Amino acid sequence: MRILIVEDEQKTAAYLSRGLAEAGFAPDVAQDGDEGLHLAQQGHYDLIILDVMLPRRDGLSVLNSLRRSGSDVPVLFLSARDTVTDRVKGLELGADDYLVKPFAFSELLARVRTLLRRGSARQPDILVIGDMEIDLLGNKVKRGGERIELTPKEFLLLSLLARRQGEVVSRAFIAEQVWDMNFDGDMNVIDVVVRRLRQKIDERFPAKLIRTVRGRGYLLEADNAPKK
Amino acid sequence: MRLKSKAADARAAGWSLTRRLALLYTVSAALILLLASQFWYLSLVDSLEREDVDFLADRIMTVRKLLQNPAHDVLLQQQIALEGVSSYVIEPHYTRLLREGHIVLESPGMPAILPPSLFPVPASITAVPKGVKQWRSPAGRAYMLMAAEAQSVGSTAPMLIQVALDMTDEGAIVASYRMRLVVGLLLGVLAAAGAGTAITRRGLKPILDIADAATQISATHLHRRIGRAGRPDELVDLAAAFDRMLDRLEESFTRLSNFSADLAHELRTPINNLVGEAEVALERVREPEDYRRVLESSLEEYARLSRTIDSLLFLARADNEEVPIDRKRFDARSEIAPVMEFYEPMAVDAGITMRCEGDAYLNADAILFRRALSNLLSNALRHTPSGGRVVVRATVAAGGWAEIAVADTGIGIAPEHLPRIFDRFYRADPARSTSPGNVGLGLALVKSIMELHGGTSHITSVLGEGTRAVLRFPGSARTRDIRGSVSEVAVA
Repeated sequence: MRILIVEDEQKTAAYLSRGLAEAGFAPDVAQDGDEGLHLAQQGHYDLIILDVMLPRRDGLSVLNSLRRSGSDVPVLFLSARDTVTDRVKGLELGADDYLVKPFAFSELLARVRTLLRRGSARQPDILVIGDMEIDLLGNKVKRGGERIELTPKEFLLLSLLARRQGEVVSRAFIAEQVWDMNFDGDMNVIDVVVRRLRQKIDERFPAKLIRTVRGRGYLLEADNAPKK
Repeated sequence: MRLKSKAADARAAGWSLTRRLALLYTVSAALILLLASQFWYLSLVDSLEREDVDFLADRIMTVRKLLQNPAHDVLLQQQIALEGVSSYVIEPHYTRLLREGHIVLESPGMPAILPPSLFPVPASITAVPKGVKQWRSPAGRAYMLMAAEAQSVGSTAPMLIQVALDMTDEGAIVASYRMRLVVGLLLGVLAAAGAGTAITRRGLKPILDIADAATQISATHLHRRIGRAGRPDELVDLAAAFDRMLDRLEESFTRLSNFSADLAHELRTPINNLVGEAEVALERVREPEDYRRVLESSLEEYARLSRTIDSLLFLARADNEEVPIDRKRFDARSEIAPVMEFYEPMAVDAGITMRCEGDAYLNADAILFRRALSNLLSNALRHTPSGGRVVVRATVAAGGWAEIAVADTGIGIAPEHLPRIFDRFYRADPARSTSPGNVGLGLALVKSIMELHGGTSHITSVLGEGTRAVLRFPGSARTRDIRGSVSEVAVA
């Protein structure tokens, strides 16, 4: 999957490029609006990550020209200015998502994957992670063939982690997805719920599926050999 | 034409007040002077002319009288013969007597210049002559002509009297008078312009004084005031308004600089930790696990900084009223429920029972309301020991106000902390500052949100018994006109 990063801040561009490459994407970097627009129109990208403030030609203008030329490639906007008008303008011009700096890389990755997945094949109804089986339609969880009872929120949390298995999911993203919290609540709540989920899922089994990634969030992984 | 006047408007708009007023003075003075001199000039011309007419009429009356008595014939002849001779006192004048078209008597020099046919229709014998004719000779001399009939002794045919006055010198006098008037007018206008400028300058000086006083007030001298002493009545209000504005400005400025100092302090500690950790980590070669630990610890710190910045940005925007409020009327319980649901696991974990009581409708921004409530609930759960109780209560208060109270059976807040509890970065318990997520801005956010709604927030607390935070929302949309008085603190 080819991703174009249009970002003039070199450090940002460098870490985005590296992170996306390590996540299995093929990123290119453009340093200003003109170059970005040129590359976006020439190359066949699956996604464009576009900074709003750019030299020569700002992100809104790049997006505008791109959409006018008939391209419908998904665009993820990055901005340091979190004003409603900016956000609305970006989305009106046809941006698919919007991230405000500073953001967690895991957050960006999650959104990139969501945008790329859009329109592609449906998720399977049953997810299998190691010896755990999650029936998304039936709201049932089994591990080692044994049924595990979860509260609705715990189930939502587990299926969120399972759908993104192998990815770090941030606390803010969990709060947004599971509790529909569009405000900054106390993130300790997430830790509490994860702890209880662990008690039900991991406690009685030698292979632990849920891992805490300090400073970033949580990760669900079958092969849980600690990565050093 | 239209364009021209617009250009003139634009030019006038750029002019100084002094210039404009001085120009208006000058134009009005010029108009008055022009009208006055016109009046003087015309009345001079008029009175000169009347004098001349009177003079000629007087001549005719005299000749008529002399003609009635034959004994005066010699005197008449002498008089007429003397006329036409230049005199310093009286301008040259001429008389001619005719009977039935024949010249009886005439002043010397008259026939050449003034033939009888020039004269106007004569006045009848008994009438006082009035009609005159003005005539300019080809030589450039101006004359006033008058004619009248007279009873003559010894004949039935009336005598025709023709008199003429040379007005040329009079014209010169009028011309020189006109010249003097024009010079006087110009001098007057100049004087008016000068006076206008001087008066305007003097009149505007108090305003300039205020401007001067205002210029003296800079960020470093914000305590200075313009003052009302010695100001003219009209400007006292202006000076007072300025001073009130400065009061508010100084207050905000002081608050801002305190806030900046706090902010610098708040940011310095985590940045210091980050720099220190990174430096120590790089001091020598380490195991990958050690680097990982440092990076993870940094991430936590960054997340904290990020949250602080987000909250500060929100507060700054709220201060500038840039936070858009999407006010809707909703059932308070419908918005309290999801927030309580979010905190439920934490309450269960801490052994605290949570309950929602009462009912009320709110006219507020739902997201901001959730945010405020979330902060209060988070605080309540944090400071309530196991076995305690947190109750959210929605009630309708007088005047259409709605009250949302969050009461806990927690440790309480010491009275000395209450007055500053809503201040930014103020923490009643400094030790708690290390807990992530708590950057000391929670209650400041609550206060800010309530101010945006035109509502109030206050906290009462009894040490060891519990704390009660109350948010009061106005029933109808209110602006922040009561800013500054919206947050009140009371000690139970």
